[in-house]
Amino acid sequence: MATVGRSRSRGAAKLADLTSRWAFMAPATIILLAMLAYPILYTIEISFSELDLATFTATEWVGWDNYIEVLNDARFWESLRITGIYLVLALPLQMILGFGIAFLINANWQGRGLVRALFIIPMVVAPVVAGGVWRMILDPLWGLANYVIGLAGFEPLDWLGNPSLAMLTVVIIDTWRWTPFVTLIATAALMSLPKDVFEAAEIDGANWWTMFWSITLPLLLPIIAATFVVRWLGAVKMFDIALAATNGGPGAATKVINLFIYEEAFRSLKFAESAAMAVIILVLTMVLTALFLRGSRKLEEMY
Amino acid sequence: MSAAVSVRRRKVPVGHYVRVTSGVVACLLFLFPVFWMVLTSFKMPRDIFTTPPTLFFTPTLETYISYMSRADIPYRMLNTVIVAFGSAFISIIAGSMAGYALARIRLRGAGMLGALILLSRGVPPIALAVPMFLVARSLGLTDKHITLILAYCTFLIPYVMWLMRGFFMALPKELEESAMIDGCTRFGAFFRIIVPISLPGILSTMIFSVILAWEELLFALVLTNRNASTIPVSIAGIAGDSVNGANWGALTAVGTLTVVPVVIFALLVQKWLIQGLADGATKG
Repeated sequence: MATVGRSRSRGAAKLADLTSRWAFMAPATIILLAMLAYPILYTIEISFSELDLATFTATEWVGWDNYIEVLNDARFWESLRITGIYLVLALPLQMILGFGIAFLINANWQGRGLVRALFIIPMVVAPVVAGGVWRMILDPLWGLANYVIGLAGFEPLDWLGNPSLAMLTVVIIDTWRWTPFVTLIATAALMSLPKDVFEAAEIDGANWWTMFWSITLPLLLPIIAATFVVRWLGAVKMFDIALAATNGGPGAATKVINLFIYEEAFRSLKFAESAAMAVIILVLTMVLTALFLRGSRKLEEMY
Repeated sequence: MSAAVSVRRRKVPVGHYVRVTSGVVACLLFLFPVFWMVLTSFKMPRDIFTTPPTLFFTPTLETYISYMSRADIPYRMLNTVIVAFGSAFISIIAGSMAGYALARIRLRGAGMLGALILLSRGVPPIALAVPMFLVARSLGLTDKHITLILAYCTFLIPYVMWLMRGFFMALPKELEESAMIDGCTRFGAFFRIIVPISLPGILSTMIFSVILAWEELLFALVLTNRNASTIPVSIAGIAGDSVNGANWGALTAVGTLTVVPVVIFALLVQKWLIQGLADGATKG
């Protein structure tokens, strides 16, 4: 009798223990199931359906129709191409500038802490504010930028109105907003480098270039890779800056994919096609992210 | 030997000064747009639209006063505060607990779940915005604070979890072990021992979450229209106003109002912020 009671209470204790363990995961899991997992599943459902605009619900199952329509839409491919150009230009630029500036502001002097603190400021300017303020600075008529390059004797540029220049302008704005982020991570990484290795190398007569190439770079490689992944995760979501600075224009020259899907969904009310595009982008992003993560893990193991 | 030393002594400082100077120049270049925004916000329109651009002028608060008293800006400010703090608060609780579970509690399947949550950082928000809008509409939940708060949790919780997991892993295991031997429950150990010790990390993660929510535009555009709308929506509207043309006074004044509190916040916790950034990029 007593043993039964004890084993039952032990079973109950075990259950209580398991419950208390899972209770830690529960709030996050519940919120994310409702707000993340369910919407993704719903997006997938809509992408295979026809959407009734009177009730805003998915009605008829149409198979791959929405996907076929989207894949035959030249504007979708153009937007993908533009997003690709943006990523290929902006990410390396921000990585190189970020780590370069980190090296510069890491020089040992009294003002170092202040400079590093000030570098936080652009990083917390809301992207939509950044886009708007740069739009003002680059204004063809009253903007400061054209006045300054005019002083230097150059012709004024139509930063936001010239289709081939506009993409570059968006990259510049994005780089302004995000380089400090890379810089701050890089500063922390540079400071954690072991000093004695460099001293030993210096005693052995290694020059600056050799030290950079065979000590600093290999030591930094894992964090460069990790920073790249974090930055990539941010950059694929780019939306606010393009919206505020160019609104995708001129024409569709800077209409990155998030902006394109947003307009198709909420301006043209083509929810089903937008859902199909969103699913395509979701899959693409996941595959590339997994690749980058694996790459950065490999790098971490190598060094 | 002595020649080598003297060459070296002269050479190092020159490189050093070049480095310091270019670092400062880079910093000033990056700060300039913010400076220009703040400067423009104190200008009268006649000082804004000039060639050459005006550097010296009589500062005025006119734009601020007219915008704070006229339009819906103060109301949207309040909304932004509610939504940013609300979502950061929920996320810090749910995210810290999950981060702790991943760091310290052995749970079958939790690792998998954690990996999935981390992977969700790669989900483009637009893939969530479309269904959220449709569902919120059919449930009559559009334009409500709580909808936006929960929507922001989708990117804040994974972020908090990621940071706090690394933070908890760095704490010595004996802390909660001894507490639990002394009769604390798992929850007791977490809330009475672990949380107080981690408070600086939790606070700085919370502040960073507030900043992220403060700036968010896409969900705010999609899920709100009047009652719960936030400041970034206003700014997008002002910046993209092609009907009335560029209202730079409004843009810079509202922009400054948005940026200043966040800058103060960020500078207050800058040490933790940098540490958090570095951890967020490396650990996990």
